[in-house]
Amino acid sequence: MSDFLPKQFFQFDPLSLFFLFVIFIVSLPSAIYSFSYLKGEYSPAKIRLSWFLLTIFVFSMALVVSVNNALVFLVFWEIMSLASYFLVVFDTDHEKSIQAGMIYIVMTHIGTAFLIAALMLMYKHANSFDFSAIKSACQVMPGKTKNIIFLLLLAGFGTKAGIVPLHIWLPYAHPQAPSHISSIMSGVMIKTALYGIIRFVIYILGVQAYWWGILLLILAGITCLVGIIYALMVRDIKRLLAYSSVENIGIILLGIGMAMLFQSINMPYLAVFSLIAGLYHLVNHAIFKGLLFLGAGSVYKACGTRDMEKLGGLIKNMPQTAVCFLIGAMAISALPPFNGFVSEWLILQAFFLGAVNATGGIKVFLVICAAVLALTSGLAAACFVKAFGITFLALPRSRYAEEAREVPLMMRMSMFFLSLLVIVFGLACVKIIKILVQVAGSVMSVDISSMHFSLNNFVLSPQSGKNIYFSTPLLGLMLLVLGLAGFVVYRLFGKNKAVIYKTWDCGYYKIGPRNEYTATAFSKPFRIAFGFFLLPYRKTQKIRESFYHVKSFVYETHTTPVFKLYIYEPLLELVFKVAKSVRRMQLGSIHLYLGYIFITIVLLIVFIQKF
Amino acid sequence: MYGIILFTVLVSTYLMVIAKRMPALIRGFRYQSFCLFVFTWVIASGHRQPDLFVVAGLLFVLKVSLIPYLLYQIIKKIRVSEDLGLFINPQLSLVWALVFTYLSWVFSVSLLISHETVLTSMLAIAFFIVLAGLFLMITRMSALAQIIGLLVMENGLFLLASTVSGGMPFFVEIAIFFDVFVSVVIMGLFVHRINKLFTHIDVNKLSRLKG
Amino acid sequence: MLIILQLILFIVAAPFLSGLISKVKNNIRMRKGQSVLQPYYNLAKLFLKREVVSETASWIFKATPFVVLAAMLVAAVLIPVFILRSPLNHAGDFLALIFIFSLGRFFLVLSALDTGSSFGGMGGSREMFISSLLEPALCMAVFAVSLQFGSTDILAFSGMHAISVSSVVAALTLFLVAIAETSRIPVDNQETHLELTMIHEAMVLEYSGRSLALIELSSHIKQMILFFLIAQIIFPIGLPACLVGGSFCTSFMQIFLWVLWYLLRIIIIAIAVALVEISVAKMRLFRAADFLGLAFVLGVIASVCAILGV
Repeated sequence: MSDFLPKQFFQFDPLSLFFLFVIFIVSLPSAIYSFSYLKGEYSPAKIRLSWFLLTIFVFSMALVVSVNNALVFLVFWEIMSLASYFLVVFDTDHEKSIQAGMIYIVMTHIGTAFLIAALMLMYKHANSFDFSAIKSACQVMPGKTKNIIFLLLLAGFGTKAGIVPLHIWLPYAHPQAPSHISSIMSGVMIKTALYGIIRFVIYILGVQAYWWGILLLILAGITCLVGIIYALMVRDIKRLLAYSSVENIGIILLGIGMAMLFQSINMPYLAVFSLIAGLYHLVNHAIFKGLLFLGAGSVYKACGTRDMEKLGGLIKNMPQTAVCFLIGAMAISALPPFNGFVSEWLILQAFFLGAVNATGGIKVFLVICAAVLALTSGLAAACFVKAFGITFLALPRSRYAEEAREVPLMMRMSMFFLSLLVIVFGLACVKIIKILVQVAGSVMSVDISSMHFSLNNFVLSPQSGKNIYFSTPLLGLMLLVLGLAGFVVYRLFGKNKAVIYKTWDCGYYKIGPRNEYTATAFSKPFRIAFGFFLLPYRKTQKIRESFYHVKSFVYETHTTPVFKLYIYEPLLELVFKVAKSVRRMQLGSIHLYLGYIFITIVLLIVFIQKF
Repeated sequence: MYGIILFTVLVSTYLMVIAKRMPALIRGFRYQSFCLFVFTWVIASGHRQPDLFVVAGLLFVLKVSLIPYLLYQIIKKIRVSEDLGLFINPQLSLVWALVFTYLSWVFSVSLLISHETVLTSMLAIAFFIVLAGLFLMITRMSALAQIIGLLVMENGLFLLASTVSGGMPFFVEIAIFFDVFVSVVIMGLFVHRINKLFTHIDVNKLSRLKG
Repeated sequence: MLIILQLILFIVAAPFLSGLISKVKNNIRMRKGQSVLQPYYNLAKLFLKREVVSETASWIFKATPFVVLAAMLVAAVLIPVFILRSPLNHAGDFLALIFIFSLGRFFLVLSALDTGSSFGGMGGSREMFISSLLEPALCMAVFAVSLQFGSTDILAFSGMHAISVSSVVAALTLFLVAIAETSRIPVDNQETHLELTMIHEAMVLEYSGRSLALIELSSHIKQMILFFLIAQIIFPIGLPACLVGGSFCTSFMQIFLWVLWYLLRIIIIAIAVALVEISVAKMRLFRAADFLGLAFVLGVIASVCAILGV
């Protein structure tokens, strides 16, 4: 067993280092955040437990991305899943946590089952679990096996990443965990699945057929849209963020899928470029989703509720949290000059370059994908306008929101740090892309020195022939200068101060939180426009005093959980049916059980005779 | 010589299969164990191995005397009907037993490369005894029959081990003997408890406990 | 220097377009209508008026006019009008323009929610609805134009010298997008102040005085940028050699004529918008989704045409 020496377990190539960076850059602020977040919520013993689990969780993630042995990878993968499961059900007082944990652990194990199957197939060909051995074995593997392995890996990692329709656990598990855990889970843990896809599919297996990339792009496109449409519908702020994670995973996968597509049609330059775009969005999403979850956690800590319809007006009581959340929301809506803008621009650019340089139907396909991304980013903006606007602006909708106080400094520090990163990753995109080029090059095993990413200090132009100029610092500067110019003009023109007065309420002088637009109302146009998919329905009930006078009116609206209803519930029903028929075997008689064993043995003997 | 002893082992097993009442079953077990003891003794004297003598001695002490004695004690103590409660009547059981014998013969023929008759029949009989033990456990209602079934299976395994590999390592053998003894004691207690609680030891009725 | 000139041109000329559209519409309706310069008067009036700010509003409400204005001005600086390559339009490309527009919109909707008025919420919700459906159509139009040029450089739409099928369809797409973006019939109606039908106006209902002036100015500028883009695509003309090469122009008349034609194209677009506005009825909000769907399909067709090279 000489290959079980620990020093051979690890490899720190650029890809692993990149993911380690992502893991620690989100985990550290989240850990610091949890000092104050947990205080007062749980007993000291439980806080110690949470630290213990957090440490295991973070380190197992770090090990997942840095081992070079498939078996060890699986072991740490399981440890990671289990640690996160215990963190999901950490809040044991809530029935929902247990339920969420159940869904999570079942789904994650189904995913792991696929992974085990894929890795065993690889092992069968390589006779070793070592990555490099598998990689060289994959060179000579028959195409059919490769396809099967790819599909298994996709299903396995897709479950963890939350690719639609395997995303079902994500909106349950992520909101139920304590917020700093949600931030790590959403920011980092689901990224380890993307690491798996990059490592196993692109690096080890090697992209074989171009339909791999197409399949991934289609799935990613669906994931984007489904994720963001559901995010628009929910009113629980952490669930909204969880659904938005589904969407962002889709966006990242657009980049990765494109890289696979370009690699298979032999366009290494574009493959590297798309992978850069995907990885850039990956790190960005880790940062701003971490930030947003911490912000949501602060809101929860201050108000004790995550329901947006009960929040509102928090910008006055919690100004610093509000600013951080706003920065996160702007970044995730891809607004300049923050980091989300850069990465979404890069992905769109990759689509465009693909549409220019590829051949045949792929061109049109890429253009359609770009449109999907554009729609997604439009919907994301709407979603986060809702999230920020309903939660932080206008009048408080409940007593909790009214009495909210700013959270302790330690929690704010973590958020400031991540906000700063959002801005830095937006402005310093040139430097970051330089680093990502190394990562992408090493993954693709492509010689990057021959590629020309003409980067000067501030200006980035990805295509050497026809220049495209793109510079967030300049853009930011211009926005600042012109905004200030507007402010100066504003000041110069009138010296009279603004009058503070009530909001216009059609002259009734009764405006209050009940008049305000709610999150549900805000998303209504979307609910109707995407009705074909969301299948909304409503219940109305009039309580009458007499025929002419309606005393009160109850209005409920819901959307149909399509995936749950049409995929998972029939599946579950089937499982139960099978289980019930199996139960007929279980009579509780020892003799019968022994008889089963006996019959098995006899049958095995007969079997041996026959074959 | 081996052949004759093995044949007696086989016959004693058939006796157990057709036993209707508890003492008969225990007696059958005693015969079987005694045959095994003789078998081991013969091997030991043939090979001049002191280990095997010790094993044979233990076999005699435990399986021929102590365990049957204990079982008799249990029967006396719990004072239930000595009926075994058969799912399959003795005649049919015997037919089944013959079928199993044939099956294990076929099995051992296919398993062994050399078609040496003695070795093959040893393997077949050993395997048959394991099957018969299991068969007893399945088709007899009484909890005591289950204990005896287990013991029979153990005997079968012992025989299997000594035929295939010329005996297990000494310490393993000792440990197994000890295990079996302890398990008999524990199960005896267990049966006692069952009897106290339910006033019978019909395992079949345990199925009422399931949810 | 020219870039400052361009900025000033956009600020100064933008309200004129709105005035013109309104005038044309009124004239077709056989009315005298307000003066073409009315938007200027409005701005002047608003600048001098005292401002009323809602007591529930936060700093978002106060900052929004500047953010929106800055976004539109950046867009105005980014596109090459008089000068092909200025240092400032190194900042972004055609695709970035989409996101810059959405920056302004983002803040506008936030400010609408900020006051706690249900009108604001309604307007904001509808604006986000329309704009998010608009985004793919705009993206497709940008792609179609850029595909012809071969890169998404901001120069793409100035680089075309001949009309192709693709550019016509792309211009049509942009035209529909512009109608929706500038809140005109059939998607929205700038003239109405009936609360339940308005979208953009509902959003800015709480603004008054100088803040409202800035927001209105931003909308004018946005409108002009969009019209300019359409004009560049459907009436492609290059810059006169003297402006590109930097050599002195021989004839002042030549430049004057060029500038005249340059601006005339925008006016033609504006009149076309006015004609569309006068000849269709406003759609229900959810019919607007179909309208934008049409725009998207046209955009895809434009892109496909561009790919096919026609």
